[in-house]
Amino acid sequence: MDEPSPTVDPLTNQFGSLNDLSHELASLQDLAMRGSWRSILDKVSGARSLDLLAKPHDHLIYLSYNVLALTKLRRFSDASNELDSLHDFNSHHYKYETYPKLYHTRSGSMVPFSLRFINAQLPFKLGNRQEGLDRFYLLLNFIRQKIKDKGIHSLQESVKIWRKREVFVLHCLIGQHLGAKEFNVCLDLIRDLINHDYLDPVLVSKLGYIQMQIGDFEGAKGSFHRVETMLNERKNDDSSALSEVEFRNLVNRNKALVFLVGKDYVSAVREYEECMERDPADVVAVNNKALCLMYLRDLSDSIKVLENSLERVPTVALNETLVVNLCSMYELAYVNHSEIKRTLSNWIARVSPDDFDASCTRV
Amino acid sequence: MSTTQQGTHSLAFRVMRLCKPSFHVEPPFRLDPADLFVGEDIFDDPLAAANLPPLLSSQLTKSMDSSDLTYGNRFLLHHPSDAMGFSGLLLLPQSFGAIYLGETFCSYISINNNSNFEVRDIIIKAEIQTERQRILLLDTSKSPVESVRAGGRYDFIVEHDVKELGAHTLVCTALYNDNDGERKYLPQFFKFVVANPLSVRTKVRTVKETTYLEACIENHTKSNLYMDQVEFEPAPHWSATVLKADELHPADNSSTGEIFKPPILIRSGGGIHNYLYQLKLASPDSAQMKVEGTNILGKLQITWRTNLGEPGRLQTQQILGTPISRKEIELQILEIPSLINLDKSFLVHLNLTNHTDRELGPFEVQLSQNSAHEEKKVMINGLQTMVLPQVEAFGSTDFHLSLIATKLGVQRISGITVSDTTEKKTYDPLPDVEIFVESD
Repeated sequence: MDEPSPTVDPLTNQFGSLNDLSHELASLQDLAMRGSWRSILDKVSGARSLDLLAKPHDHLIYLSYNVLALTKLRRFSDASNELDSLHDFNSHHYKYETYPKLYHTRSGSMVPFSLRFINAQLPFKLGNRQEGLDRFYLLLNFIRQKIKDKGIHSLQESVKIWRKREVFVLHCLIGQHLGAKEFNVCLDLIRDLINHDYLDPVLVSKLGYIQMQIGDFEGAKGSFHRVETMLNERKNDDSSALSEVEFRNLVNRNKALVFLVGKDYVSAVREYEECMERDPADVVAVNNKALCLMYLRDLSDSIKVLENSLERVPTVALNETLVVNLCSMYELAYVNHSEIKRTLSNWIARVSPDDFDASCTRV
Repeated sequence: MSTTQQGTHSLAFRVMRLCKPSFHVEPPFRLDPADLFVGEDIFDDPLAAANLPPLLSSQLTKSMDSSDLTYGNRFLLHHPSDAMGFSGLLLLPQSFGAIYLGETFCSYISINNNSNFEVRDIIIKAEIQTERQRILLLDTSKSPVESVRAGGRYDFIVEHDVKELGAHTLVCTALYNDNDGERKYLPQFFKFVVANPLSVRTKVRTVKETTYLEACIENHTKSNLYMDQVEFEPAPHWSATVLKADELHPADNSSTGEIFKPPILIRSGGGIHNYLYQLKLASPDSAQMKVEGTNILGKLQITWRTNLGEPGRLQTQQILGTPISRKEIELQILEIPSLINLDKSFLVHLNLTNHTDRELGPFEVQLSQNSAHEEKKVMINGLQTMVLPQVEAFGSTDFHLSLIATKLGVQRISGITVSDTTEKKTYDPLPDVEIFVESD
């Protein structure tokens, strides 16, 4: 890439708004928040063809949004090809110090970390699980090396962000192993995080869910008890990422799960209702309450619970799992269910984001 | 799949298998703004390190605002563990799935009135038919459902512990008065097949007074099995202890303590797990207990859990030990010299015991030829047959056999056989014994 002449006054605040970070970033971000991924593809293609991207980092950020959009639209091969066009993430082309006229004394990689993440997760979607796992584990090593390097140079803010990325990749790995039912690996990875003082009540709860999944009820109860203790010992200045409402709902949902697995659906419903009272947008509570009603032989009310949530809080309730559940209920409740499913499908087409997988209605 | 009779019906049965729901797991493509808006090393720049965090956190707060009606929750990470794609959302069973012996079959049954008229006096029955029997699950004959309005439903849930293999049919029938007052009969059939979830292979070995039972459990199902309990129930007069290998990971989890008990999970589709039991007869001097014929050791009780603790239980048939034959004569080697030299004779100390209540003998002791008729490397030195006098009832006699080894290294003393010359009976030879032959 050539070095265009610098246009930014180095004395102004370069980080005041999104548009300071990259050309029309606020607009890209807004489209992404709305789930308008097709519009993002258009915008990126427009910016590229009109040569609006002045700097190397602009190209990379636009490429990131493009790759992400392709991924969201389930065009995984296209996304993979675009990533491959970069050839080597670690190339000097993508380093700040290669362009001192633009970035002055800044050094290091200008590759947005998302690209590395998407690069690791894409193979799973392309049916190449082993490649995906290899990339994730290599990425983990890469991150840990970065943490060491930044630590040596006392770059505290960088260390913080790379540690966050380490936790992120570990969570991705746990998810992939969980999807493949490799439960013992998941338990080991979570144990590792907890043993290194990463005490996140949500993670401990998820450990409990996995223990429930495999049938280790005693272990699960132990984990949930631990989460309750964490709630009770919580201090006001707790830097945990959870708000009071979120924490309490987490504890209720954990209790509900124990009741549900023990077939005490009435008590499970009661716990979920407490969650919904505190936060009507707690979609896990809504969805799971509906399922409990079904197991209580109340198919009509289970349908109503799901339909109500779609009406009242569509942007949180509209997820593929909830819709699959609702359609299963329709199929059971109505001999001629195609009409009601079509009504639902039409409504979804009007309000859903571009990345919503409409095949979930099985219409 | 269901099959119904001909003719139009106002009612129709809808059936859904109601095993436990499952957790939805799907790692998403959700990001942290710091990983998208800027280069990964930008925080090395002190200017960025100071000014970026406020900008980034304001972006996140925007996405978490519940009044924000966007789909940001599908794009940005709200909480670090969102990356796992495991929120706790449960999914209804999406297919009938496989049913295995020992599980509980549970089903939601809905009878719909899809006509435009009310239907009255409905007698509903649900039963399971197998090759061997019919099991009634539901019968509203005593109190028929008064009516189901047009477009209405009557729902019920049935459960049945599966105790037979092979073809099963869930038969749902409704006897009702339709709008014309005609009494109609609607049968619907839902077929499924029950398979064997596991197989158990056993091996029994006896070492002196102790019997060891090795049980290998193989999982034939499509899910992982959490082995809740695998217990051996010994037969009368036997006691059993389970033997476990040392744990691979010592208890090092000071902070996690009680959370981690390594679960026994048998992988789906062919995974195995072995169990070892040590069995002892209740009374050690149990000569009276050694009854001729087969030897019942006991049976295994197996309980397992699959998805979200869905339980299953099975019992094996009686497991047999090695048949005990009553020994009349017992020949044993008491002592072999520790140093055996090539071509130099050595004495082996033996004992012959008479376990019967009558005098037996006289006996002859020889080294029998092995089936290959190879020349033996260890032979009797001197007369090839040693004669022993009679042994009284419950008595024993000690004697020495002089042997000589003709080859160096590890050799076998094989085929020491005793025969009763009066009863013309030859007993089984002693098992081979290894010796080490050294040069002078």
